[in-house]
Amino acid sequence: MTTDAGPVLVVGDPPLAEELAALLREAGRPLTYCPVAPARAGAELPEADALARAAQGAALALETTVWPFERKRALVAALDAALPPTAVLASLCAAQSTSEIASWTTRPQQVVGFSVVPPLSASQLVEVAPGLDTAEAAAAAVERLFAAAGRETARVRDDAGLVLARILCLIINEAAAMVMEGVASARDIDTALRLGANYPRGPLEWADLIGIDFVYAVLYGLQLEQGEDRYRPCPLLRKMVLAGRLGRKVGRGFFTYAQA
Amino acid sequence: MEQLGVIGAGTMGIGIVQVAAQQGLQVIMCEVDDARAHRALEGLRATLQRLVERGRLAPDEAAAALGRIRPTTRYADLAPVDAVIEAVPEDLELKRDVFRQVDAIVRPEALLASNTSSLSITALAAATRHPERFLGLHFFNPVPLMALVEIVRGQQTAEATIAAARQLVQRLGKTAVEVQDTPGFIVNRVARPFYNEALRLLGDGVATVETIDRVMKLGGGFRMGPFELMDLIGNDVNFAVTSQIFAGYFGDPKYRPSYLQQRLVQAGALGRKTKRGFYTYDD
Repeated sequence: MTTDAGPVLVVGDPPLAEELAALLREAGRPLTYCPVAPARAGAELPEADALARAAQGAALALETTVWPFERKRALVAALDAALPPTAVLASLCAAQSTSEIASWTTRPQQVVGFSVVPPLSASQLVEVAPGLDTAEAAAAAVERLFAAAGRETARVRDDAGLVLARILCLIINEAAAMVMEGVASARDIDTALRLGANYPRGPLEWADLIGIDFVYAVLYGLQLEQGEDRYRPCPLLRKMVLAGRLGRKVGRGFFTYAQA
Repeated sequence: MEQLGVIGAGTMGIGIVQVAAQQGLQVIMCEVDDARAHRALEGLRATLQRLVERGRLAPDEAAAALGRIRPTTRYADLAPVDAVIEAVPEDLELKRDVFRQVDAIVRPEALLASNTSSLSITALAAATRHPERFLGLHFFNPVPLMALVEIVRGQQTAEATIAAARQLVQRLGKTAVEVQDTPGFIVNRVARPFYNEALRLLGDGVATVETIDRVMKLGGGFRMGPFELMDLIGNDVNFAVTSQIFAGYFGDPKYRPSYLQQRLVQAGALGRKTKRGFYTYDD
């Protein structure tokens, strides 16, 4: 069993985990997809038995949850316990550094951080971030996995949010602040950035697509890691998460959507 | 809305003049002396000629547009206009002085608008006797290509002024968004982290200039990376905008400028225009 051909386990929330699983399946990797329940209060992890069965024989696991943080930590610890000792554990490091995620496991050399911003279909690149103690072979295996699925990779240091999620969520935070302050409408803010700065999407429709919980988690994680007011999440984002206005996936965020 | 006055025929001013004249408005273009007015008009003539050569504009339309522009060096000639758009350098006292004079000349129902990107509309309006007819009309560079205009509502701007401004923006063939008089308005404020956080990531050693640009383009779908864009805008201009917004919010750390960019400015590495910035350009 090698990390390059062996079975892959994808664990996380739809739609991101589902998209990742589909992408890797297309690339021909043997794959098990293990969804976890939506990130609402009191949500359960996959049953320990189910996770243990799914993890058996996996060469590499991709874990994609973001929020709530306790749920992610419990899931990473459960995966660490269930995976074969040699398996690589790649975790979405949107809100924590790889080094922090690795500290929740017994295999810091095998833990690799990666980051993509949903929707995956619009992204051609995956950021890969080894932690302080990550083995080079493990980071390289994750890069080859994404390369085989037709994605470019960029190696960056493992600070929370890495590059794209950190910059993009701060842009969204600023747009959300303007809505909260009542100084411009959500619709006008999106129009302004598309036409005035050539953004591919307005920041608020982008936030709805990414998921408000994801955006909030990145900002909150950055604030915890950096300890600076610069990263303070806009209170409106926090309220939206608490109210379940998580964006497109639930039909309501900054805008409303017809439910699929 | 048939007659427009434009004060200042620099890059932004002449762009506004061009768009208005091409859209069929009569334009009175005010510059400080004949030489500048002449230079600006010659530049516009060349621009329209290039459009004609590329088949993007009919020769008679170019001639008609030029025929609608009347250059002047006297504010008194602005008396009949329906609206004035000011586009002189970003200096509060200079702009206040312009509006103090123009306010006394134009008709009471004429709109007074500033194209400022960084000054308070409320502070400019206060120089006039009728702040209720004053507003910001923030165009983007290059004006003929950028569809957006930010309509900025000052503390005392009247509802009727906003409504008339919306009609003017539509007449100019542009898309209007509305924002209260806040530092950076919408675009310059919301886009700040695109530059500022990229600089922070670079300074912290998270990734290189090339990697950050590549991630933002391929991962995020942005047309240009932050460092390529700062080099295009000019690091001096970009650093000045960030510094003004930082000051406008009284030192909120969200907007804190980067000393890395300041060093480039101090070294004269302004970007493409000096062939050196975050990247070097050989052409």
